[in-house]
Amino acid sequence: MIGPEFPAVLDAATRGDEEAFGRLWRDLQPRLLRYFMVAAPAAAEDLASETWLAVVRGLDRFRGNEPAFRAWVFTIARHEILDWRRRAARRVTEAAPVSDLVEPAAPDDPAAAALEGFSTRAALAVVATLPGDQAEAVMLRVVAGLGVDQVAGIMGKRPGTVRVLTHRGLRRLAERFGADRIRGVV
Amino acid sequence: MDADDASFAEMRRRHADPHADPLALDEETAEQLLSGRLSPSQAPPRYAEVAALLAAMTAEPTPEELAGQSAALAELRAATRPRRAAAHARRAARTPRRRWAGLAAVALVGALVTGGAAAAATGNLPGPVRDVARSILGDGGGAGPVAPTEPGQQPSPAGQGHTSTSTGPTDGSQGGQPAGSADHGPDPTAAGNPAGPDMERLCQAFLAGKGAEQGKKLDATAFQYLAKQAGGAEKIPSYCEQVLAGGAEPGEKEKQQPPGGGQGQGGPPTSTGAGNQGQNDQRTTRS
Repeated sequence: MIGPEFPAVLDAATRGDEEAFGRLWRDLQPRLLRYFMVAAPAAAEDLASETWLAVVRGLDRFRGNEPAFRAWVFTIARHEILDWRRRAARRVTEAAPVSDLVEPAAPDDPAAAALEGFSTRAALAVVATLPGDQAEAVMLRVVAGLGVDQVAGIMGKRPGTVRVLTHRGLRRLAERFGADRIRGVV
Repeated sequence: MDADDASFAEMRRRHADPHADPLALDEETAEQLLSGRLSPSQAPPRYAEVAALLAAMTAEPTPEELAGQSAALAELRAATRPRRAAAHARRAARTPRRRWAGLAAVALVGALVTGGAAAAATGNLPGPVRDVARSILGDGGGAGPVAPTEPGQQPSPAGQGHTSTSTGPTDGSQGGQPAGSADHGPDPTAAGNPAGPDMERLCQAFLAGKGAEQGKKLDATAFQYLAKQAGGAEKIPSYCEQVLAGGAEPGEKEKQQPPGGGQGQGGPPTSTGAGNQGQNDQRTTRS
């Protein structure tokens, strides 16, 4: 979050102030990368670039506060993913190798990883094992830091559906850790 | 959705009887987990690892994640350079905004004919109007290769030629969308002129085309409108000079207009023009 300075930073960035744009970038780029790491890991960097390009092009027409800006950026990010998937579906023969898709590999033993403290990448890899909608809802809530209504808007779902998706996602994660616990890993 | 309703019931039931289900998670706790307000030790026992996982997801950025900043900014600079350079050149030289005028005129033609500027950008103009739009843009060719496509290439990023749902989801809920969208008004200059045609821009476009094929242009609805405002096609040049000098006085204007000629377009052209011109300046600076 940039906070109270956000309007000034946004305004400066819109006028072409690179330092100001850099602040927006530093605030959101890590979140975007993490979101893409779960949704389309093979293309995370490219999708982030495409997203920023679209942000720059539309910046002078954006109006809104910081949460709205974040929601807007992630709306763009999501469209980039959908586009990328469409393109990827068209060129099946060039499909990314499976090794790309699962890298970083989900830890064999997430519960042990939890005890040691997750690395961010390992945590994302665990979330990526959730069903797509659940993973996305959790990512948008947690990593993008958006509210239920914003996530609902971005995903084109009702707020109640988003609540259910995140709830199921959390539960599923807990189940996974619980299974490890029962097996005596923890 | 039945599944969702069932799940809400599920959530309530588990909340009511936590002992029946060790993984029970009420909505409030879920919300606290999601927003990072529960540390692993504060979380329900079965959710301690989940809390640790969520904390890791929102950990401070790693150096790797931020490593690309200078490259990314350079890329963005390169991608936007033509527009910035053009904007800068316009400011520096204080040249007439031919290109803007041309673009505005295209949007305006669309607005006049179809009631929506989108037609101008999407190529849905009726033939004669399209010809005029092309001739204006062609005349503005001295301004560089950017003119005809730029407005179409700056859609609302949310639109961006993606799915048709693209602008829908967030519009209502956040009010944070850009003012324009690819579907409704890609050219910001058009969006700033909802009340009616901007005589100043129309005149700029007209004068920019002087000596080219004005006769042909006058077939267009937009220029018929201009002729009507001026009190006749032959009076357009002098009328436009007055408009652009900021001097078309209301009295004179009325005199010049044919009786009963479409006066429903709002206030005096010059005042509208001045207001929009100011916006245009600002926008040029910001682009």
